[in-house]
Amino acid sequence: MREPNAIDFWRGFALVTIFINHIPGNFFERYTFSQYGISDAAELFVFLAGWSIGLATRGRDGLPEPRLTTVLRLLSRTIEVYRAQITIMALALAMIAGCALYLDNPLILEWHNAGGFFADPIQTMVGVVLLTHQLGFFNILPLYVVLIAIAPAVVLIGRVSRALLLALSLSLYGASLVFEWNFPSWPGEGDWFFNPLCWQLLLVLGFLSNEATRESERLQRLWRRLMPLGIVIVAVGVVLAVLELRPDPMLAPEPRLVFTFDKTYLSPARLVHFCGMVLAFQGVFALIAPHVGRLARFLSGLGRNSLAVFSMGSLLSLAGQFVRFQTGGGIFVDISVVGSGLIALGFTAWFVEWRSRRPRPTRKAPDAASPADAPSSSPSA
Amino acid sequence: MEALDQSLSPECRVPGSKLYTLARLKAVKAALKEKRPIHVLSIGSSSAGLGASASYPVKLENALEQALPDVQVEVEARGLPGEVASGAGERLRSMVAEMEPDLVVWQVGTNDALARVDIEAFGEALDESVQWVKSHGIDIVLIDPVFTESLADDAYYTQMVRTVQEVARREAVPLVHRYAAMRFLSTQRTTEAHMLGRHFRLNDLGLRCMAEHATRAITLSLLQPESAKEGMKDGIKDPGKGDAVTADHATSDTSKTDPAQTGTPGPSPVPKQP
Repeated sequence: MREPNAIDFWRGFALVTIFINHIPGNFFERYTFSQYGISDAAELFVFLAGWSIGLATRGRDGLPEPRLTTVLRLLSRTIEVYRAQITIMALALAMIAGCALYLDNPLILEWHNAGGFFADPIQTMVGVVLLTHQLGFFNILPLYVVLIAIAPAVVLIGRVSRALLLALSLSLYGASLVFEWNFPSWPGEGDWFFNPLCWQLLLVLGFLSNEATRESERLQRLWRRLMPLGIVIVAVGVVLAVLELRPDPMLAPEPRLVFTFDKTYLSPARLVHFCGMVLAFQGVFALIAPHVGRLARFLSGLGRNSLAVFSMGSLLSLAGQFVRFQTGGGIFVDISVVGSGLIALGFTAWFVEWRSRRPRPTRKAPDAASPADAPSSSPSA
Repeated sequence: MEALDQSLSPECRVPGSKLYTLARLKAVKAALKEKRPIHVLSIGSSSAGLGASASYPVKLENALEQALPDVQVEVEARGLPGEVASGAGERLRSMVAEMEPDLVVWQVGTNDALARVDIEAFGEALDESVQWVKSHGIDIVLIDPVFTESLADDAYYTQMVRTVQEVARREAVPLVHRYAAMRFLSTQRTTEAHMLGRHFRLNDLGLRCMAEHATRAITLSLLQPESAKEGMKDGIKDPGKGDAVTADHATSDTSKTDPAQTGTPGPSPVPKQP
């Protein structure tokens, strides 16, 4: 188990923000940073995933691990994320159906895009395993599956040439914006909520930021000097968000998506705002960590176990939505729902680490117990 | 008791006043005059555009093509995740900008009701979105949320339904009274059973009938006169400032010219200019 650090801390922070934002209408929602800017926690999550891939594919000595190991490691991670998505989709659909039956209320079947599954299960079941049928709020992991699946290419190209990687990534992003390329939904019409062809850029930026800063002192100094620029961007974001100023997509010139604030296509405004956030808040962890030890430990714990925490968080926020719906909401319900959810997320993180620490019963002779049972200390991608 | 609307399938028959509020649809009329295909964007919880032929968007397309003979109708369907009160309006704008339809049919309120968002915030956000669609010369029809007996006495939910109605009235856009229609259907005696109980039977029925109900509101709205002045000439009472005409007036006045009513392919539903 590694010590609290900035990456795990911010990852945990993003996970808590996503959990709260996924219980729409709740009291705490208006106090998350997503309400005060153009970009939100999804950007942070993907950027840090890219950053961690850089850490995970190097050995303890900081040298790149063998290529085949990287490919296999990321392949194994892709399978893990895919498995998590299928599991939480099955559980979410069962929760929706169970809740509708228990409350004798068919309205619940129409919950954020679930109606398709219940009206047309034959095709939609295929769509679920193909990741082309996504429920509202359950659409981040499909993006993540695609991103981790292409990550071996990102890492290997990055080892050859960072400039080439950035150029390829930017070209794909730009072309997708201009030609409105996206992955299709099926059987429902439409496209993916998070367009992997655009969001891959954030993963690559996260990966490259880590790679570049680890070697270059000069770059680190440059980042710090750009902090005021970041603060200006963040301030502009606050003003735009609070005053609800955004371009009218019907009036935006072509290519439209370059000028609008679009989440699906990660429009440039969101990207610039997010980069501003990174510049503005880069030093915050080091500044506050000594004073908020418990908080830093809690959030870092969540961040270290992000996949499990994210999966549990998705299901807990769905449960929280049902509780709010049935009880009618209100501040006390919101405090209990969000409070118990955060405790459950903390327990999830602790439990995952407890499971990996525990020596597993083995049928082999004691002296053959493999060192692989020891907890992995390398950051997960 | 008011007569049931005989143009609907037997199991979907509801009196007109429980079914729709009518208003003018300029963009669709213009498309009809120019003999262009009509592009419809169907948005909402059960609008995810399923492949099965029995699904709502496919039914809507078929029902509209039946009601408007010789007119090609293309329905594109999209689910709209998120709440109108917090950002779904923004996604709606992106979708509309992407597809530039003549008509938006928006089944609205379910997600917001499930999240118990602040009703006032919902009303304001919905009003803004409807205004925005209209401001770009695109027609819009609203469909209010479903009726289900477990929420019949839920004050919040009925307030939500009323808010959708108020916005439709204020913005003078046609409204399909899905809630009232289903409540009416729930009182009809039936021998049809459902393995999950009668609430679920009603829900299935509501889904089956929604395309017909929406089509009825759209075709009758197309028969609305161009302006209040003409309305007087045609003998249709135009209530004050609003363009919305309550359904029972409209049905009695337009039944003669409505092709859907008689079931025979009639002339194009655009009223002849005097």
